Amino acid sequence: MATQTLTKPQQSQNVEQKIQQFRELFADAPELGKKALENALHELKSQASDLPPPVESAGRVGARLGKVSELTIIVPLAPGGAKRLRAFLRLLGGNLSQGADKVGTLHTMRFVFFDNDTRLLFATAFDGDWDAYIDDFVAKIPDYLDVIDSAWEGWPGIRSPGAKDYLIKHQITAEGWYVAYPDLTVAEIKRLQRIGKAVDEFLDKVGT
Amino acid sequence: MATQTPTRPEQDQSVEQKVQQVRKLYSDAPELAKKALENALPGLMSQAAEAQASQSESAGRIGIRLGTISELTVIAPFAPGGAQRLRAILRLLHGNFSAGTKVGTLHNMRFVFLDNDTKFLFATAYDGQWDPYIEDFATKIPDEMDIIFSAFEGWPGIRSPKVKDWIVEHQIPAEGWFVAYPDLTVAETGRVKRVAKAVEEFLDKVGN
Repeated sequence: MATQTLTKPQQSQNVEQKIQQFRELFADAPELGKKALENALHELKSQASDLPPPVESAGRVGARLGKVSELTIIVPLAPGGAKRLRAFLRLLGGNLSQGADKVGTLHTMRFVFFDNDTRLLFATAFDGDWDAYIDDFVAKIPDYLDVIDSAWEGWPGIRSPGAKDYLIKHQITAEGWYVAYPDLTVAEIKRLQRIGKAVDEFLDKVGT
Repeated sequence: MATQTPTRPEQDQSVEQKVQQVRKLYSDAPELAKKALENALPGLMSQAAEAQASQSESAGRIGIRLGTISELTVIAPFAPGGAQRLRAILRLLHGNFSAGTKVGTLHNMRFVFLDNDTKFLFATAYDGQWDPYIEDFATKIPDEMDIIFSAFEGWPGIRSPKVKDWIVEHQIPAEGWFVAYPDLTVAETGRVKRVAKAVEEFLDKVGN
């Protein structure tokens, strides 16, 4: 599958060089792209030299910002797979909470059919390292996974030693990744939510 | 572009009917999938019943939403030279598109190059309805939007009256969507984070 390019930028180039480089690249961009570039260049420059935390590797594959990683998998669907998977998702009203909550490290997850139901996009945001995350899926919701992934061409089964290789083969590392709160894991958000609720209740009581 | 199927499941079918239908579809699935389905079915039944109550809804013009959080998934062909330009920019930013913070309603966002740099996947999780979200992008980071999206075939410009039509045309609604905390907007997460920090500082002081 496509473009498994590395996400690591070349650190050795300085910002000026880079800006120069993509001014050149934008020389044949549409007019509105060129104009936008000039407008934004000042800010881009400071952003690039202020060095927002760089996107790092999520482990074997994928990008990570702070504690939150991305997984983007695109697979060809097996014959009949799209129909089965769609029926399954509709049975759940498109809401995958009960299985996904069990994983415990999952922020968001989506299933998108495209190219006339011949391919599927599976994309998640999760906490931490790729291997540990896949292991969580395997340990916590193996059956859900097999029900879903058996729609994928060539899926070996989650309990197969070939499962991780299959996933890696179809995963494409994002070139850009943004997370609103890179330091907040799913567990940490829950803790904050509890504290927030307790404080609200406390203030309610004090107020009355 | 592909499969713009309506995401709304048919409400009039009962859970039993749906389960029956899923079973039938899985009768020609691989053995491991059939087995996994039987294992998962008891849990699925109750989940499906709950799903009737808490299913994903529409995010407005297009896309689906769970609680307050919606998904946007766009797949578009690159314009000539677009992939090269976009990659240069993302590398300049070390893959971290932190301008996303200015939008204020963005949970996460990924940029993925597909099919040997001929297509592009842009996927976000955001708060609320589709129309105001797109308007937020247009008013808060118009230049960043044009720099990025001018890499795609036919992008009319973020200030163009046709921009929403372009996005709708290339957006594919997800069939399945999960969010760990459907009731927590980006703003609310920021609030509980601040409250929790204040509480911890307070407790530290009391403890001393």
